[in-house]
Amino acid sequence: MTRRELLRTVGTGFGTVGLTHLLSQSASAAPHFAPKAKHVIFLFLNGGPSQVDTFDPKPMLTKYHGKPAPTGNLKTERKTGNLLKSPFEFKHYGQCGTEFSEIFSKLGACADDLCVIRSMHTDRPNHEPSLFMLNTGTPLSGRPSMGSWLTYGLGTENQNLPGYFVLCPGFPVIGPQLWSSAFLPAVHQGTHLANFSKSEPDSLIPYIRNEKYTRDDQRRQLDLLGKLNATSVADPQLEASIQSMETAFRMQTEAPDILDIRKEKPEIRARYGDGDFASGCLMAARLVEKGVRMVQIYFGNGQPWDNHDDIMIHQKLANDADQPIAALIQDLKARGLFKETLLIISGEFGRTPVVEVSGLVKVQNGRDHNNHGFSTILAGAGIKGGITYGATDDFGFKAVDKPVHPHDLQATILNLFGLDHTKLTYRYSGRDFRLTDVEGEVIKGILA
Amino acid sequence: MRCLLLTLLLAPLLHSADDKAQEFFEMRVRPVLAKNCFACHTGSKMGGLEMRSRESLLKGGKSGPAVTSGDPDHSLLVQAIRQQGELKMPPQGRLKDEEIEQIAAWVKSGAVWPDAPTAPAAKAGEYIVTPEQRAFWSFQPIRKPALPNVEAKTPIDRFIVAKLHEKGLEPVKPADKRTLIRRATYDLTGLPPTPEEIDAFLADKSSTAFEKVVDRLLVSPHYGERWGRHWLDVARYSDDKLDPTGETPHPNAFRYRDWVIHAFNHDMPYDLFVKAQIAGDQLPEPAKTAAGLGLYALSPEFQDDRVDVTTRGFLALTVACAQCHNHKFDPIPQTDYYSILGIFNNTKMNEFPLAPGAVVDEYKARKKKADDQQTVLETYVRSQGLQLAQIHATHTADYLMAVRKDKLDDREKNAAAAGLDLETLNNWIAYVRKPKLEHPYLKPFLDALAANKPEAEVRKIAEDFQALALEVFTEKKTIDDKNYIRLGGSSVRSDLSSADLLSLERDKYFLWRDLYDTKGVLIYGENGIARFLSGEFRTYLKTLRQDLDRYTKEIPEQYPYLQIISDADSLKKQKLFIRGDRNNLGDEVPPRNLTILCNGGPPKVFTKGSGRLELAEAIASPDNPLTARVMVNRIWQSHFGTGIVRTTSNFGQLGERPVNPELLDYLAARFIENKWSIKAMNREIMLTSTYQLSTDDSPKAFTADPENRLLWRANRTRLDIEELRDSLLFVSGKLDPKTGGPPEHLTVDNKRRTVYGFVSRKDLDPLLALFDFPNPNATSEQRIVTTVPLQGLFFLNSPLIIKETEALAERIGSTGDQAASIQKTYRLLFGRAPTAQELALGTEFLKSNKDQPWPKYLQVLLSSNEFIFIG
Repeated sequence: MTRRELLRTVGTGFGTVGLTHLLSQSASAAPHFAPKAKHVIFLFLNGGPSQVDTFDPKPMLTKYHGKPAPTGNLKTERKTGNLLKSPFEFKHYGQCGTEFSEIFSKLGACADDLCVIRSMHTDRPNHEPSLFMLNTGTPLSGRPSMGSWLTYGLGTENQNLPGYFVLCPGFPVIGPQLWSSAFLPAVHQGTHLANFSKSEPDSLIPYIRNEKYTRDDQRRQLDLLGKLNATSVADPQLEASIQSMETAFRMQTEAPDILDIRKEKPEIRARYGDGDFASGCLMAARLVEKGVRMVQIYFGNGQPWDNHDDIMIHQKLANDADQPIAALIQDLKARGLFKETLLIISGEFGRTPVVEVSGLVKVQNGRDHNNHGFSTILAGAGIKGGITYGATDDFGFKAVDKPVHPHDLQATILNLFGLDHTKLTYRYSGRDFRLTDVEGEVIKGILA
Repeated sequence: MRCLLLTLLLAPLLHSADDKAQEFFEMRVRPVLAKNCFACHTGSKMGGLEMRSRESLLKGGKSGPAVTSGDPDHSLLVQAIRQQGELKMPPQGRLKDEEIEQIAAWVKSGAVWPDAPTAPAAKAGEYIVTPEQRAFWSFQPIRKPALPNVEAKTPIDRFIVAKLHEKGLEPVKPADKRTLIRRATYDLTGLPPTPEEIDAFLADKSSTAFEKVVDRLLVSPHYGERWGRHWLDVARYSDDKLDPTGETPHPNAFRYRDWVIHAFNHDMPYDLFVKAQIAGDQLPEPAKTAAGLGLYALSPEFQDDRVDVTTRGFLALTVACAQCHNHKFDPIPQTDYYSILGIFNNTKMNEFPLAPGAVVDEYKARKKKADDQQTVLETYVRSQGLQLAQIHATHTADYLMAVRKDKLDDREKNAAAAGLDLETLNNWIAYVRKPKLEHPYLKPFLDALAANKPEAEVRKIAEDFQALALEVFTEKKTIDDKNYIRLGGSSVRSDLSSADLLSLERDKYFLWRDLYDTKGVLIYGENGIARFLSGEFRTYLKTLRQDLDRYTKEIPEQYPYLQIISDADSLKKQKLFIRGDRNNLGDEVPPRNLTILCNGGPPKVFTKGSGRLELAEAIASPDNPLTARVMVNRIWQSHFGTGIVRTTSNFGQLGERPVNPELLDYLAARFIENKWSIKAMNREIMLTSTYQLSTDDSPKAFTADPENRLLWRANRTRLDIEELRDSLLFVSGKLDPKTGGPPEHLTVDNKRRTVYGFVSRKDLDPLLALFDFPNPNATSEQRIVTTVPLQGLFFLNSPLIIKETEALAERIGSTGDQAASIQKTYRLLFGRAPTAQELALGTEFLKSNKDQPWPKYLQVLLSSNEFIFIG
């Protein structure tokens, strides 16, 4: 029986006991080599944060403010004009001295733990294809998300929880397709929690509570079920069905507690601060602690970082992001999880160093989308801290030194999980698919 | 589907002595060239260099040969990518070091560039299908094969048994009658049999007893609800658009769903069913067929969706894989993709009214009248509002001074004393006191207030601010006028993203926005402004509003309509997108049939309109080797769980081969013989002894064929979500048998069949998603079955389970005689009597549970494997 056949008949998802021995026989059910990371927390600053206002300082941009870019403007989504300096100051942080914008000063204080890739680039200057690229490795729809690939490849360490959570106050643009399992078995789809910081934890997992019957009642029911089912013939699908019922019973106890951040110590909650994103970061730490494979947090509904009109809005957004991210790093360390958890901070692309002048903006103090260059931060499991990697040109328009494509980033992430991105494949509609399509090179220079 | 091929996959396919060199090229070189060079050096041959083959590199371009085989250092290509000399390539930036090294190594080892099967995009007409490709099984004409010479009940059984005999296997014994009627009833209607139906079947000892059951089920109105749903999976049916910001229903989508169900119930010949969906508006009786166009009108609108659903859905060919290049494995040139795409690009979304023309015209005219009036009203209010704001702005300093000394008690008196408008003063106060107000222009005033500066000093500051307020008003107007000219005298453009316009500087803009934009301090809307208008102006406003209200009321309720596509008003020539890039256009590609389906001749060009009708006829033709095979295989899959070809939507190289090709051809031939009747095919299949086998094990057969591909027994299947939910409602007696109509969300109060539930592309119903309902954003060939703990939670806790167990308890109506009630329950749920042990377990459970024993007990039975699996 191939893995696919097995999945077709019984599914796995949570590595159901009694099936794990079957699964471990197949290559993709376990890492290809020793992993450094067990979990990943992906903080997605959706909308496209501007690199020259956050993680990629450009003194030349300040110097030539208001003048035409000497190298000409690269093609982006909309009409752009002259160079626009960053309204924010950059400072050196940590022993490494990496520069961060003042709007990310608390994150800057963690500089020695961070690897800032300043040479990211992607294919298109539009949200949808770039969101797809970062999340599914293709600019089109219809492919599985990275979290689905990870849980498909590795399963999860906690049988009582889904392996892949997506937290977003509402929906990012495109929505559920970004965490879709597409043609992978549906169990690998991300579990999306939309109102996670405002809802009762019970409401976050469907059918987690029984309003009528006690746990003892249910135990008696399951005992009877076990006896009735025992009379049927041996068949792996029947067996899987029995097991899933028992796991569900146990899940009722564990899952709501983990999702309830009110149970966290007040001083820890205070460190994260207030707001949806802060709650998400804290929940991510708790989920990872319980063995969840991947937690992805979208910063906000729609595309908050998409500041075409006024780059000053970045200050307000960063104000809601800076403290929680710094707190998350500290908290992961305190929980002893930092070394086994990969932290990713990225948008779908960056923004132009030149001002947008298109007819769609009412005021010209913002930046257009920029796929030619942007920054992504990595930290934690297997990542060299206190470094920057690659560079954009003098104005921050285009990645010129050691360019990194999302496929390279994805290959690297899978590598950290002990997975060879060329071997993690799934046969669908007659061909093998993989997260990195036919591209992707592991970025060796950032590995610890 | 959409794809760049995994070049890695090529590795096992290469068998020549050059394996390693070819593999190196495919893995390390071609991807780099494809990404960085092909855009300029294939179709467009920039610098005269074409990079299509080893030969073309040796020939080179204007600067001379690009490659000297075996000598990278003297190869222009390598020099250019090293960027050490004059020529630096690629222009968009240097390749990675390791990429350069690998290309150099490849040149050094002789620049091996294999031809097949990965020729780059060919121009129209250049593509040649090789004899090997043409000989592929699925492209062969359908011929009814001779029946194998074995003993078996029906012709189909003879094909099955012959294959079993080849492996030395025999089928297991037949299923018992109770199992068989349950299987058949679920199979054809998606519902369990009633105890009465089971009794009747058990009592019928005639040789045609099962035939009678099948015939009864085939005419059940529930048949279409089950079999229509199978097709809706392929058709990626949904009730809404893919709108991430909210639920945007397709208001008439259900008419397509109902048409499909109706077509199955009335056994519409499959060839007509196909033609209706592609060109139902152009058939002789559009009223009967146009609804089928919902297949395309309800598209999720991805760029390759329509080609994909057409070719995978009807033909099991992955033509959408050929949008960037020729298909890597199947004889599908890139031009084929654009031929089909061009057909659909020459269509438009349309509606097919289900009402007389007069009703439609009336509605449209009334609607337009109201919309136009709305525009007139809004324009008038805005222009009057701006004039008024400018007048109020000349008193800005007075208002600010009134804000300064404001106390709620005597605000009205103060306003009157200063000759100010009270409402406008209120607006100013609300604005100035906004807790988060940050504005550099207003800051001096706010600071002066906070510092309690003397009146004269504040007055001066307020007057400065007033001057600014008036200035930005004028400046904005000047800029708007200039932009109006830049936009060529129109403020409306479909795409402003490339317009190069002027704007106020940031701080001034925010001041303008705060004071004069539609929600600005000084702006009054329709209700507010009336107070300031007098005489004719006021009367005019009133008239505008009264007329608008009347016109709006006069719009009749919108007529029902089908969502269809029709041919575009003016037809465009489709061009090939080089490497799939819509900004890089190649040659024109006319609408025509797929190359491989043209018997070796040049593809037949379609000439009528968009070409849809001709495409439909080409697909729904008995001479098309794929259409009938693909559909009978889908039917087979629905009956047995897997198809004769397991990749039901891929009959190409990378799809699986038929496990029993003769049987597939026999079925396809019979299908066409029987005028494409799906019900006749259902009947023929179900009356075989193969269909009627038990699920018994056979160690010998299991060892030889563990996946049961040869069908030595029946496959056990779990209820899918439609069967599960419908069965819960059915046994509790609550199922609402109403058919058709608008979809409703699957709440606990919705008692209709699941096929009528709302299917969302944006946010698939959690219950559907939990039980493996296919993603409605792409055509689906088969349902994956997962078994996960979240499904266990459904059985433990879902309100639906709780509610239906209570309803079922009521239906059973447990009285004093518990044993009798248990008997009744088993009969209703499982169609059999309980065993002595089951009876004892039930009795014991009911006795030991004081509170709600029956619902709890029934919940266990409804979660049991016997209920949720079909034997």
